[in-house]
Amino acid sequence: MTTINGYQDLNKNQKEELKKIALARAQVMPKNLNVSIGSETINKSELIRHINKEDRIGENLMLIELEFLRALASGAIYRNE
Amino acid sequence: MVTRPNYDETTNYLYFWSGLVIKEARKHGVDIYDLIGKKATKKNFDSYLKSQKPDILFLNGHGDEKTITGHDSEPILESGEKEPVNKAIIYARSCDAASVLGKKLIVDGARVFIGYLRKFIFGYTLSKMTRPLEDSLAKLFLEPSNLVVTTIIKGHSAQVAHEHSKKVMLENFKKMISTMATYEEKYAARWLWGNINSQVLYGEKSAMV
Repeated sequence: MTTINGYQDLNKNQKEELKKIALARAQVMPKNLNVSIGSETINKSELIRHINKEDRIGENLMLIELEFLRALASGAIYRNE
Repeated sequence: MVTRPNYDETTNYLYFWSGLVIKEARKHGVDIYDLIGKKATKKNFDSYLKSQKPDILFLNGHGDEKTITGHDSEPILESGEKEPVNKAIIYARSCDAASVLGKKLIVDGARVFIGYLRKFIFGYTLSKMTRPLEDSLAKLFLEPSNLVVTTIIKGHSAQVAHEHSKKVMLENFKKMISTMATYEEKYAARWLWGNINSQVLYGEKSAMV
């Protein structure tokens, strides 16, 4: 499985690109969906706010987005039988 | 011993879903000490830990790298303390605790720690918030995590329980990215992938109760 240790491992350009992708994905989050992460429960607008601020929750969600996209692209998802 | 505080949306979901583990455990004749709601305090936790030396600690609540909390975010396990974990098998459905606290609890004497290196995440449906057990989206996250404990109760090793839980998470994940999935399930799939990557086991893989 593809694991990135931390947001700090990414360089400035990678962080900018990831933020753009994560924001674009957040814009299409369904309205009837919330996510529990850490001590927070987050709806679409809060998800966008956390990503924009690049706070701890935002960083976590962006890293998950990156790992998910990498796993889809690499086929790792289908190797984990 | 189970801790399941219930004071916000996240703990409310964990409270109800861990109730299913308790039912399953009772079916198998397991004695349960249920630190439910406001009873999930440090005082009650320590008291039972020292007097009864439970085989399994199933901890539901908020946390961070160094702490797992009970009711109202009161710390019940901390990396700065020597915790009397008495050769227990611990499953912490709590954020980040595997990264520091989990390793420390093994040093303190726990046989096994299963938990998450990063945030434990689950998606849930707003319209089901008052009926968490009817939330089919949350089920995709919380049912496989329940398997960590129910598999151990059925006599399997900690490693088998950990792998079984991750295998079912992966099966759910594949359903969620399939063409049959709802839009909500497809969207939430990335979060389940995060849990699959983040769930780890430390300690004695062959440990059983």
